[in-house]
Amino acid sequence: MVFEIQISRFKASDVIWTGNYSTTVTQNQVLHWSWESELPLECAIHFVRMRTMVDDARIPVPRFWSNWSSWKKADAQNSLGDHPLYVFPKDKLVEEGSDVTICYISRNHQDNISCYLEDVLTFGKQLDQSVWAFELKNISFLRKTGTNFYCQGQGVPEGVVLFVSKVLEEPKNFSCETRDLKTLTCTWDPGDDTGLIQLPSYTLFESFSRKKTLCKHRNRCDWQVTQDSQEMYNFTLVAENYFRKRSVSILFNLIHGVHPVAPYNLFPKNVSATNATMTWKVHSIGNNSALLCQLQLLGEGKVIQQHNISIRVNGEYLLSELEPDTEYMARVRCAYADHFWKWSELISQNFTTAEAAPSEAPDVWRDVMFVSGHPTVTLFWKPLSKVHTHGKILFYNVVVENLDEASSLEVLSVPAPANSTKVTLNQSSYQIHVTAHNSVGPSPASTVAISGHPGNENVEEGRINGTEDGFPMSWKPQSRNATGYVVEWCDGPQNLPCVLQWKNLGPTTTGTVISSGAFRPGVRYNFRIYEISTKRMAHLLEKKTGYLEELAPSYNPQVVPNNLTSHSFTLSWKDYPTESQTGFIQGYYVYLKSKAGEKCHRGFEKTVLPDNSVCCKYTIDNPDQKTFVMKDLQPESVYEFFVTPYTSAGEGPMDDFRKVTTPDEYSHILIHIILPMIFCVLVIMIACYLKSQWLKDKCYPDIPDPYKSSVLSLIKSKENPHITIMNVNDCVPDAIEVVNKPEGSKIQFTGTRKSPTETKGTKPAYLDLLPTEKNYSGPGPCICFENFTYNQAASDLGYCGHFPVTSQAPHCPLGPLTSPENLLKTLEQNYMNSLGEIPAGEANLNYVSQLASPVSGDKESPPTNPPEPALCSEYKMQMAIPLGLASPPPSENSSLSSTTLLDPGEHYH
Amino acid sequence: MQAQSMQRTLLSLVLRLLLLCMVATGKCSGKYHELLLQLQRQADLMQNPSTLLDPYIHLQGLHSPILKGSCMERLGDFPSEDVLWRLSRQDFLWTLNTTLGLFLRMLSALQQDLPKAAQQQAEMNIRGLGNNIHCMAQLLRGSSDPEAAEPTRPGPGPTPPPPSLPMLPLDTFKRKLRICEFLQGYHRFMRRAGQVLRGWGERQGRNRRHSPLRGLQRAAQRTWPFPGLRRLAPQGQLPR
Repeated sequence: MVFEIQISRFKASDVIWTGNYSTTVTQNQVLHWSWESELPLECAIHFVRMRTMVDDARIPVPRFWSNWSSWKKADAQNSLGDHPLYVFPKDKLVEEGSDVTICYISRNHQDNISCYLEDVLTFGKQLDQSVWAFELKNISFLRKTGTNFYCQGQGVPEGVVLFVSKVLEEPKNFSCETRDLKTLTCTWDPGDDTGLIQLPSYTLFESFSRKKTLCKHRNRCDWQVTQDSQEMYNFTLVAENYFRKRSVSILFNLIHGVHPVAPYNLFPKNVSATNATMTWKVHSIGNNSALLCQLQLLGEGKVIQQHNISIRVNGEYLLSELEPDTEYMARVRCAYADHFWKWSELISQNFTTAEAAPSEAPDVWRDVMFVSGHPTVTLFWKPLSKVHTHGKILFYNVVVENLDEASSLEVLSVPAPANSTKVTLNQSSYQIHVTAHNSVGPSPASTVAISGHPGNENVEEGRINGTEDGFPMSWKPQSRNATGYVVEWCDGPQNLPCVLQWKNLGPTTTGTVISSGAFRPGVRYNFRIYEISTKRMAHLLEKKTGYLEELAPSYNPQVVPNNLTSHSFTLSWKDYPTESQTGFIQGYYVYLKSKAGEKCHRGFEKTVLPDNSVCCKYTIDNPDQKTFVMKDLQPESVYEFFVTPYTSAGEGPMDDFRKVTTPDEYSHILIHIILPMIFCVLVIMIACYLKSQWLKDKCYPDIPDPYKSSVLSLIKSKENPHITIMNVNDCVPDAIEVVNKPEGSKIQFTGTRKSPTETKGTKPAYLDLLPTEKNYSGPGPCICFENFTYNQAASDLGYCGHFPVTSQAPHCPLGPLTSPENLLKTLEQNYMNSLGEIPAGEANLNYVSQLASPVSGDKESPPTNPPEPALCSEYKMQMAIPLGLASPPPSENSSLSSTTLLDPGEHYH
Repeated sequence: MQAQSMQRTLLSLVLRLLLLCMVATGKCSGKYHELLLQLQRQADLMQNPSTLLDPYIHLQGLHSPILKGSCMERLGDFPSEDVLWRLSRQDFLWTLNTTLGLFLRMLSALQQDLPKAAQQQAEMNIRGLGNNIHCMAQLLRGSSDPEAAEPTRPGPGPTPPPPSLPMLPLDTFKRKLRICEFLQGYHRFMRRAGQVLRGWGERQGRNRRHSPLRGLQRAAQRTWPFPGLRRLAPQGQLPR
């Protein structure tokens, strides 16, 4: 039967859709047909009618349509409440990219209603007086909680939520496998999430058995293998959601998809230094099917052994050729032996082999130094490589064997990790054996021989040039019986402690390249090549020195200019060490600049400096020449010089020029005259000094001591007990005679201290101390001497104690003079008034002169009015009192004559 | 915004640690003011819409001004302000505890609708506050202070019945809005609770200067701050 169906909207006459529906019908059968309206049915009344026609080939044409049925009305609005605004469809599920029609029904026509898709105002189409429709095209997924569409009139907004689903993807990488031949596991990649809370369903259908199962996971499904020995499976995976159904199929052979479960209990057994047995277990597959297991042995992360073993339940394999004391990792995986498809997961186990004695002798070298004729040997050895230690090295044994004394054997044990030891020997020949020991035993011995006498060190040193690979060097063998060669060097610069390095070479080798990561450009390395004899004795063969790469000198010498003359000077830099430079010093450049800017001297050449200044340059091509004479210079000229060494890599850094000014041409002549003159003066002065006593004796003889006079002895010889020398203390002066010498009178100077002009205006006074009474019972009159050594300033004082005395003048009591206070006052005043004016015509008494015996024959006695000879006379030593200082209070016995004022620092006798 | 969020997170963390500390020790702080301050801070934290409402709005796409504007607290979802003020301290604590207990149940029912992190945090906050409510109630029970049985502000009526859980519509759009209203009500309720708790502190401060009895009498005579609401408490009888 064919049914023609018509659908109208709002009014029966407005047909919006016509279609046919064909089906086979039976009697009393109820048919179902559905039609989906793009406009929610709640928003419009729909009408439907149909007519039918027989559509059977058995019935001949013409065939006729039946009459139309009456219109049937579908009115969803009846079920709505009395809200003023409704929006439809509610909670519609749509697929991303599809079109959706949303409508609202407004009961209040006066309302101004605005509708929004999310935040965006949307304009619709009015379908009826109260119905508006909004067509949303190509709708997209926004969020899992749905896309909001809402309209607002007067009250609360009304809206709908559209649940947009992403398009369901076809499952990818669909495959199945079994781990135990009992359960199949099929896996797939479901693709992107559809974004809905309702997840798509996944169903696994097997066409041979026509069984299906609903998968519990979205990417995996388990299938129980039946016991009917079904080997082939045709699986179809169907992914389905509200909108779509996607499917993918595979044909699967059960035997070809066995992926065994990982083995377990992997353990090492009977681990020795070189062997270990590994055991493991596997999960059985099916009826104890055979498994192919792969056992891998890894050392330092790399697979070093791999073995395939076929097993059923338990696996076991002996690993051999292992290294002692080495950590290994064993790992195992298995696959189905009947048909390999996939390895199981790996399991692994670490184990370490047992220790064994070191397999190789340590590489030993020595450094011999002779101290006081005795060799001191420093033995060095390199740590054995891990391959050869076979365990932790605990100590090194050093056996020193004296070859000259058969029974002499000395054993030293050096704990690890030391790599050197020092042995002091005597002048015998020795063999030294070094062995490395671990917990199991010793290594083979390494032997060096030491001669008791220094070998030939006078070997010429050759130069070598370093390359990128190191220092290539070669040598000429000296003997045909050499058992090998050793090249020795220090790894660091010369100024650092030597880290002795060596390289052993075979007997047929006559050249090698010494390379080291420690080699640096600009560092001089010294190499010594030894030939090893059959007796393990080392003989120095050659010396080599070189730079890996020569650099320009890093600093310049400290140049000292000397021998400066008006035409030349000498530059010297003898302290500059050429050995410790950054390259072989080939010579020096001497730069010279003169203010005058004249032409360069002979041997110099003009050059332009980096600062574009021009100067003269002299090249010294002898590195040992460390002086340079700069000749042919101009007197009284300024020269600037600078010396820098140069190597094959260039010259030293440009430093500042130093200045030298040549002296005047005649200055040396002056020196030649002045120096001898000074010398002569000095000679004269020294001669005068040496002859001063003689001069003194001639010019200033000492005043004789009356007590030591020969007269005394003469008198004593006459045995006259009454005749004696008068003590001045016993003299009581009773008169003072003042001799006023007229101006211009002759003055006798006792020294050169006062020039005649200085003394011209003075009034020297002579003070005679004479008895004032004729009945004076004292020993006799005293003789007064003039003393010119007194303070001249004091002589100008007019004071009671120093008063002018005349024979007629009233006697001034001696009190002022004898009293210490008065004397001090006098002195003070004297000093204070030393610069004061002195009244003219006043005769000053300023000194109580020395007393002397007239027999002394003093030639300096005043020429005027010499006193009469007296029996009692005395000369008393004068005391020097510095000016300004008060004299000590005189004792009762002290006499005035004992006090003398002297200039500071001067002493006259 | 990030700084605020960080501050909130830190505050939340501190409060949680405090809670955990108390829960772990099983002891309540005996210091009233400390406990009150903690309650106030917890209420302040929970009244902040950014802890729950904002994440919900963002998740559901309700951030347009129209929808946010319609997301208002619905009367009856939570106890009103005047009711809270008129409750005695003990009744207030009971009401607060009961209301939050109901809200906690609602949160469990809204698992599908709420962001998971925000929901879990809100649950933790509520449980923390509940613990402090328990401690405060214990403290008040043990105190002889008559204020404990006195309303924060005098007013009529016994303890109101706890609010019931809202019926959520089947229409997803309406449901979204209804949950939004409910969460809005929760935050506003917590704000009101915080104000009441601050009222406790203020009153305590005032009454320190007066005898408790006089304070009680004065409280009874105090002018009702909401003239629109009738005082229903019978004269001469102190409310609970």
